[in-house]
Amino acid sequence: MILNSDGGKPIYIQIAEWLEAEILNGNFQPDEKVYSQYQLAEMFTINPATAAKGLTKLSDEKILYSKRGLGKFVAKEAKSIITDKRKNQTLKGLLRETVLEAERLDVSEEELITMMRAMNSELNKGDES
Amino acid sequence: MKAIECTDLVKKQGWHHHVFNGLSFHIEENTITGLIGRNGAGKTTLMKILAGFWRETAGEVKVFSERPFNNIFASANTILIDEQVNFPTALTLTEIFTAAERFYANWDMQLAMRLFQHFNFQPDQIHQRLSKGKKSTFNMIIGLASRCGLTMFDEPTNGMDAAVRSDFYRALLKDYIAHPRTIIVSSHHLEELEDVLEDILLIDEGRQLLHAPIDEFREYAVGLTGRREILTPWVNGKRVLFSKEIDKNTAYVVIRNQDISLETAERIGLSVSPVSANDVCIYLTNKQRGAIDDVFK
Repeated sequence: MILNSDGGKPIYIQIAEWLEAEILNGNFQPDEKVYSQYQLAEMFTINPATAAKGLTKLSDEKILYSKRGLGKFVAKEAKSIITDKRKNQTLKGLLRETVLEAERLDVSEEELITMMRAMNSELNKGDES
Repeated sequence: MKAIECTDLVKKQGWHHHVFNGLSFHIEENTITGLIGRNGAGKTTLMKILAGFWRETAGEVKVFSERPFNNIFASANTILIDEQVNFPTALTLTEIFTAAERFYANWDMQLAMRLFQHFNFQPDQIHQRLSKGKKSTFNMIIGLASRCGLTMFDEPTNGMDAAVRSDFYRALLKDYIAHPRTIIVSSHHLEELEDVLEDILLIDEGRQLLHAPIDEFREYAVGLTGRREILTPWVNGKRVLFSKEIDKNTAYVVIRNQDISLETAERIGLSVSPVSANDVCIYLTNKQRGAIDDVFK
């Protein structure tokens, strides 16, 4: 992953989101040790304090847990916590933007729902082929 | 522990000019801090005082709990790398390393020689005859290999090409992780440097403007673009850091992130864009004389 440095998301949030993606796609299993702040700092050429902030964010959200002196590990419920969080935050945010854009373009609610259904079947068709 | 404590620092140059008039800040041990400011803000002066080269006019400066000026403890534990570093012209590059090894207790000759080879230096080259970029690169090696408790780089990347600059940031970070120490870097390339920094100390006209973790700078401000009739009442009464006319009807303004609700801004048709740490520093240090566009009016 290349970090986005154009001022958008703070680096520690990008680090946290990258680790979440690694957990979601199974690269880290429950009770497996994740990278230390120093490993992350080297991997992404970032300050270790920034990397630590990303790890702390995941600990605060109970996605990681600490073993004293050993580092941080993936919590058993990590996947479901991340999925819930993304549903409530990321997906809602995307929906908000979609609805706002539809309003700007005078797309009616029904039209929008039809478009979403069409998109859904189009993407699912792609999966099967 | 605090590596640097500066309290009400005053530095006068000449009879009337105050470079600093009551600068106070402190820097924690084992952090990398970016010292940022416009030309003439006092970055070099501050580093020279911290290195013990120049004497403060008034106030208190402490480096590792001691006053740096004329202090052998400070000079053994501090290194300042800038463009004006002078090495004896009679010594070859490797002889300079040997001399540095004698002076700096933590000197790492292996690191010095590895970097020396990586950047294609020849042992019998003379410092004075190196190109500008090569000089900066060699000086940077001295700065890293000395492993001083307080390591300061004043505009270290001047003259370096993009590949060498990127190697430097990575070398700095790797060596810092392996051997934590207090590092201060001044640079006009904040956008390249910011990822390896922990904090930024932004100074302007001899004052401390903002001293905060890098992420606070990145989240400090937002840019809003939209039609004037929507934008103007919306930003009324808020602190505008920067504004620019895009066309007759559209404008772009930068305001503090905390001052607004982004959701509301988007709902009323303003487009919201992030403002980089670099731009935040530029806007915060903008003088009252207006923008560059005003010159061409």
